[in-house]
This record gives sequence, C-alpha cells and structure tokens, in this order.
Amino acid sequence: MKRVNFFYATKLTFDDYVHDHSFALRIIPLETDTQHILSCSLNIAPYISTQQTVDAFGNNVTAGYMRDDHRFLDFEIKGSAQVDHTKHRTDYMPCYLYQSQYTKPDHALKVFYDSIKKKCTGTAADKAEYICNILSKTVEYGKGSTDTTTTAEQAFALKKGVCQDFSHILISLLRMEGIAARYIAGLAFCDGETHSWVEYWTGDHWEGIDPANNCSVNDDYIVISQGRDFRDCAIDRGVMFGKYTKQLQLVRSELT
Amino acid sequence: MGTISLEHSDRLYWLGRYTERFFTTMKALDRQFDKMIGTVHSYTDYLDCFGLPDIYTDNRDFIRRLLFDKSNANSAAYSLERAYDNGIVLREEISTDSLSFLQMAMDTLSKAEQSSNVRFALLPIEDMIYSFWGSINEHIYDDEIRNIIYIGKTVERLDMYIRMKYPFEIVEKEFIRLLKNLNRVPKGTPYRYSTKYLSDLVEILGTEEDYRRGADKAVDSLRHLFETEEVFV
Amino acid sequence: MTQQVQFTKAVGNANEINELLRRYGVKFGIYKNGTFNEQFFPFDPIPRVITAEDFQSMEKGLAQRVNALNEFLFDIYHEKKIVRDGIIPEDFIYISKGYLAECEGITPKNNVYSHISGIDLVQAKDGEWYILEDNLRIPSGASYPLIARDLTRIAAPQAFEENPIIDNRGYAELLKETMENVNCGGARAILTPGRYNAAYFEHSYLAELTDSVLVQNDELFVEDNVLYHHTYSGGKSRIGVLYRRIADEYLDPLTFLPESLIGIPNLMEAYRSGNVGIINAPGNGVADDKGIYYFVPKMIKYYLGEEPILKNAPTYLPFYEEDMKYVMAHLDKLVIKDVAEAGGYGVVFGRDLTKEKLEEFRQTIIAEPRRFIAQEVIDFLDLPIIEGNKTVMRKADLRVFVLSGAETKVWASGLTRFSRNPDSFVVNSSQGGGFKDTWVLSR
Repeated sequence: MKRVNFFYATKLTFDDYVHDHSFALRIIPLETDTQHILSCSLNIAPYISTQQTVDAFGNNVTAGYMRDDHRFLDFEIKGSAQVDHTKHRTDYMPCYLYQSQYTKPDHALKVFYDSIKKKCTGTAADKAEYICNILSKTVEYGKGSTDTTTTAEQAFALKKGVCQDFSHILISLLRMEGIAARYIAGLAFCDGETHSWVEYWTGDHWEGIDPANNCSVNDDYIVISQGRDFRDCAIDRGVMFGKYTKQLQLVRSELT
Repeated sequence: MGTISLEHSDRLYWLGRYTERFFTTMKALDRQFDKMIGTVHSYTDYLDCFGLPDIYTDNRDFIRRLLFDKSNANSAAYSLERAYDNGIVLREEISTDSLSFLQMAMDTLSKAEQSSNVRFALLPIEDMIYSFWGSINEHIYDDEIRNIIYIGKTVERLDMYIRMKYPFEIVEKEFIRLLKNLNRVPKGTPYRYSTKYLSDLVEILGTEEDYRRGADKAVDSLRHLFETEEVFV
Repeated sequence: MTQQVQFTKAVGNANEINELLRRYGVKFGIYKNGTFNEQFFPFDPIPRVITAEDFQSMEKGLAQRVNALNEFLFDIYHEKKIVRDGIIPEDFIYISKGYLAECEGITPKNNVYSHISGIDLVQAKDGEWYILEDNLRIPSGASYPLIARDLTRIAAPQAFEENPIIDNRGYAELLKETMENVNCGGARAILTPGRYNAAYFEHSYLAELTDSVLVQNDELFVEDNVLYHHTYSGGKSRIGVLYRRIADEYLDPLTFLPESLIGIPNLMEAYRSGNVGIINAPGNGVADDKGIYYFVPKMIKYYLGEEPILKNAPTYLPFYEEDMKYVMAHLDKLVIKDVAEAGGYGVVFGRDLTKEKLEEFRQTIIAEPRRFIAQEVIDFLDLPIIEGNKTVMRKADLRVFVLSGAETKVWASGLTRFSRNPDSFVVNSSQGGGFKDTWVLSR
C-alpha cells in the first residue's frame, strides 16, 4: 500500500482563433479496488461548464463545449490516491478477448505469434511474462518513429516504439493466445509523461504488466483510463472549427 | 415550427432570388422573342443590360441558349435549377406541394426545348410559378421566416429591373415593397440591412433624375445590402 | 394457411402514376462514375396483394420477432444472459462489426433499441413466407409506398372502391408516436447526411410529414450533455429525439470514428445521460448480423418462451459439426454468405461454381467455419410487372416496417422491390430495380 500524489496538465494552443470546440477528456483517475482516490481537482481554462459521465469501459468522461472564439484550452488535475496492488480488480468485459482497431494483427505479427506459441505455456501470468520478455528483445524502445495513430502491426514492422506501441503489440499477442487483455493509460514513477501498460485476465482477476519496461505493475502506477486499445483511452479528444493550422500541445505530469 | 437554422434561412433567401431571376429572365426573353420577329440580330440591348459578351450566332441561337442551356449561368434554365437546388433542402419548411411546382416548371421547360412553338410551350410555366408563390405563402406559417424568402424575391426583382432600365415608377414601387419587407426584420438577425447601403439606396431611388444617374451604384448597394454570400454545398 | 393471390392487372395507367411521382419529386440519388445523379424511382402499376390471412400471421410473427430482437439487444449490452446460458456462442457476438463496446451499459429510454425495423421477406412458390434479413440500423424505403398510395388513389380510385385495401397513410402518425415515446424533452429532429445521400427524398419527406426539423450535423451541438439546434437568429433550441439517418460509426467523432465529418461531438454523452432519444439505438448492428440471423428463432424461444411464427430461410452454421457435415455434402446446392460482408457482397451460389472453385471454397469454409453461413436456395415466387406493353415475371422481395413505440406495431404496407433484369435476384434501386404498391387486404 502506498499513498501517491499526482499531477497532470495539458496546454493546447492554437495559432488562430477556434470556435464551436467540443471536447471529451478522460483525465480523472478511476476509483477501483486497487486505487482509492483521496482527492482530485480538475481545472479547465478558460472557464467552461462541463458534465461528468462514466463510459462503457468505466472511465470518467468530462465533456464540454466552447462556442465562442478562443486560442487555448488548458486543463490540469491534481490529487492524491491510496494504491494497493495486493487487492484485485474483477471488472471483466468479454470484448477484451477480441482484437480491436489498434491490435488487429497482420500476417507478420501472426507469423511471429506462431513462432513463439510453442514455448508459451503455463498460467496466464507465465505466458504474459514470457511474451513480455521476448518482446523486450524483439522491439526496441525509441521515441519519434511512431505516433498516437500507430497500430500494433505498424509498430511491430518498425521493431521500434514507445509504451503505447509495446502495449498494443502485447495485447495483440495475448488475445491471439486466448487471454483477455486491456490497455491502460496512466501515470507511473518511471516516466515523465503519461504512461501506458497492459492488464491481462488471469481467469478470475486482472493483473498489470508493463511491457515497455518489462516488469510487473506495482503501487507506483496510477490508472487514469482503460479500454480495448488507445482509442478508448485518449486523454483528450476534441473537434473544433476555425482557420487554425497548428495546435501546440504541452504535457506535464508528476507522481510523488 | 418556429425556428430554422442559419443554413436554411440562407437557402430560403436564395430560393427567393433564383425563382425570381428565373421568372423575370423568362418574361424578358419572351418580350425579346416578340421584338425579334422579322429581324436577324436584335438582342444586343438585352446583353448590354447585363454586361454580357455577344457569343451568339443569331436570334435563334441567342434565345435557345439563354432559355435552355443549363451550363450558361445567365440562362433561365440555370436559374431554375439553382432555385430547385435551394428548394430541395427546404421540403419540410416549404412543403412537397411548393416543391412540386418547381419540379413541374423544370419538366415543362425541358419539354419546351423540343417544341415547335417554344413561346406557347412555355406559357404554363407562368401559372406554375404563380402557384409556387401562392403555395409558399400558404405553407410557411411563421411571418419572420416567410419574410426572408420575400426579401430574396424583391431584392432580385429590383436588381433585374434596374439593370433592364425599367421606368422609375415601377422601380420605385418595388423599392417600397422591399423597404416594407426590411422593416419586419428584427435586429440581430441575418437579413437585417446594413444602414450604410440602405441609405445609399434611399438617396438614389429618391427621384427619377437620381435613378437615371445612379443606376450602377444602386445595383452595387443592393449587392452589399446584407453582406452575405450564397451558400454552396 | 397461406394462399397465393396474384393480381395481374395494372391499377391505373403507369404513365399517369409515373407522371405524378415525377411531379412530387419521388427520387433517389445514385453515384455513377463519381458524380451524383438523382433518378426517379420506377413504379410498376400491378400491385402486390397480401391477403388478410397472410398478413395476420405476418403481423403476429413480425411483432414477435422484433420484440425478441429488442430483448436481445438489451441483454447483449447489459447482462449477456443468452451467451452465459449457451444459446449463442460468444464469438458470434464479439466478432460482429455491429457490436459496439462503446454502447455497453447504456439503457435507451423505455428499453427500445430498434424503433424502426425493416424486415425483408420473400414468398416461395408454395406460398410460404420466409424472413430473409432483419434491418435494425437505418432501414430505408417507407416513404415510397406511402407517397405512391396517395398518388395511385388519384390515378385509380375505383380500385380502392372495389378492393378492401387497408389505408397505409397512417405511417406519419405511427412514426411520430414512435419518436414521442423516446422523446427526452424537446423538438423532434431528423438527421440527414445531406442532399447528396441516396435517401435524401425520404429524409426530407418524413421530416415534413412528422413535423420534425430536418438537420445536418453542423446545425447541432451538445452543451452540458444536452443536444441543441443552432437557430438562425443566434439562439438555441433543444432537441429531445433524433431520428438519425447516418451510420453508427459516424455518429459521434469523440466516441466513434474520429475522422467523421458528419457526426455530432459528444452526442453519445447526451444519449448516455438520458437527455436525448436516438432512433435507432447505436449498436443495433449486432442483432441484424448475418451470423446472428441463425439464432433469431432461438432468441424468440429464449426470451419470449414462444414458438417462432415466421420461418427463417433454412440456414446452417458450419461452426456446428452437424451443420458442417450437411454443408460439405450439399455445397453445390446452397448459397453461402460471408457474415463479415454486407450489401450483397460475399454471397456465393454453390451451383455457379466450377468444380475447382467449389473445392477451393470448401477448404476456406473448413479453415474459417465461423465466417460463413449456408442457406437453402429459396424458389422465389415471381411477380408480374409491366415492361413496355407486355407483362413479364420478375423476382421481388418485400420489406415490412415494424415500429416499436409504447407497443410494437406492424405497418400494414411495405416496400415491394423488384428486379428489372430477368436473371437477377438483386432488387436494389441502385441496380435499376423498381417498386410496386403493396396492398394489404382487410378481409
């Protein structure tokens, strides 16, 4: 059990005025069996009225709409949580057993799976650790070659990627092996930005594994959102109108 | 239904303008037709009114293309098609009945092209357009919304009449009609006139003498009256 | 129980009726070589007649079927009892493209998922009716028989004096009731992708008849999880129920396809919060999937405890061993459908394949048994249509509309589409097909 403070901020700046801007944020950490949120405050500037709902995957969604012209949108969360990974989460959904948009394997990824499946034996945990090990030897961690639209098969072809790509490839392989797996977006001590890792279903509960660092998940990780893949977990999604050509996004996060 | 969207209000305005442009063009061409009986090349005055180049070989070619050629942006057929384009997205506002008169006018116009007596074949179109306006009047219940299409109609009529150098008494009448329409537009809504251009119009259309001297400026002021653009899909 | 009534006489003059249809702009749009064209929908003056007896059993059977499908949709997006109880294998739900995990846990107002269902049927030569497919997403076509009836009554009043034909023109009222049943407070609206959609005539015609606002996405916005319409004077007015005519994936770019330009951002949040009714519910595609079709009679027994009144076309799932055996033995006589494909694609008639192709196909089915369903080829009852000055026989189907409001009601009418090509089973308007009036007799 551990008490952690978290902080996360995003600044969106546009190079011209935008209007009719709708957004959906998945930024308020979940209250779960393994993490109890002690406090959490969300600040959005410019001031705007928002509504909270919980989506199909259990994420907190903050929805808002800004009709008038504006050139920036800032949002930040600050709070603290009690994390305890000796407890277990059991919120299963059958869709986690099936490939999703980012994890659908191509021929190369299927061939790769066929080459490792013989040695992939034992419990779900054994299998997950085995695949994670192989993955850390096959795919190199590196920024700049992939982005948020990169799928598992694309990252696997590059043999290079960031935490999001590692998660997608691992999920794809676990699902091929018949193990339900989900994508987690959150904060971790080991990373300066937001982090991503994977949870797999052991048969009666979820267990976390961090493929980018090839280690298991402990009390140093805070879950912000979860889903079939990155698409269900994007921290901010927005649609706006205007003549702007560029948006600048600055992200800062801290876990203490 | 008390409210419509901005897009639909623009569509209504342009429906009014194009229907009127079609009607006035058709009537003007009918008079031209009459004038041309017994002559070979007597349509330059018509082209001059609209500043159009003479690209036509003879009377017959001129009439045919200005009536039926949809690719000619000055033709009656072109205006009618644009009117229909604006009308088709307004079905629930103006009713299927109103729309049917435009459809019939289009069908009659294309049949007339094959007719041996074009003027005769075009006659029913006049009935259809008058029916269209009657139907519009019946079906748009909200005064404020109905007013928008009449503004479009009157602006177009005034524009065409001034360009075709109609007598002052007639233009003045139409201008007064437009002023009445404009007075009904609440502040802060689209089709609220720009004060500057309206006062220009009031000045130019004040006396017959000013009208004769300032026709070009009047057309220009009319164009800027709302400072809006046509909506394209 | 069924009898064949074939009317072979034209009702009214085809030219007169087509003239009237022209006058009222009864069109559909099609794209050919990248350009948009509007065409008039050809109308055949020989009506299809459905006897009172046939319709009574159809009415009961269709209401039963749609009720079970609505129960199924509620179950799938909540407890999934039917999967747990082993009636439907899990795979068939989750590999279906129509299943939308994003809709898990959402409960639409009054638990109605499929408000407007278009059920396609065919009549076999022996008079028996078979269900061909269920359309629970955005079934189109109701406007055509509706306006056609108005016009045939002008063109041939005596036919309606002499025959006990049920008046079908209450559809607008029925649709209005169905919309009001899930109205969460505000105006009724019909969402269209725009003028250049194939069914634009229908969108605008139904808006006119139901006194709804016809809207495109850029006229709408969601604020504080409530759906509003921008008005021309700069204000906003609330929408309580949205009859949307765009596909699920495009409905909300913040929930589904981010690249959708025709959706309304955060519409799903407003819907989840119970502030707007959406007709039909997003996620319905899981119930009208080809793979799920096989299970509909089982659903009826499971949810309603009743025997299915209407028959499916005899269908086999190679997924089950016994069915696989049958399919392998009769492949050359069956029609095979790929469950992942739609719109007439992925449909193969065994009799059309060469020996080699048949063998190749056999291996594909063995390799991926879940991907296919196999059906007996139904010997369709052809309908007479007038071509020039001759009467010829053509393939036709029937789409019946079932509306689920406070009660489930079957509209005593339907869209009979026929193929103009003598060798074709394809009745789609985009393929040059036409339509007929469908008479449901009251006695």
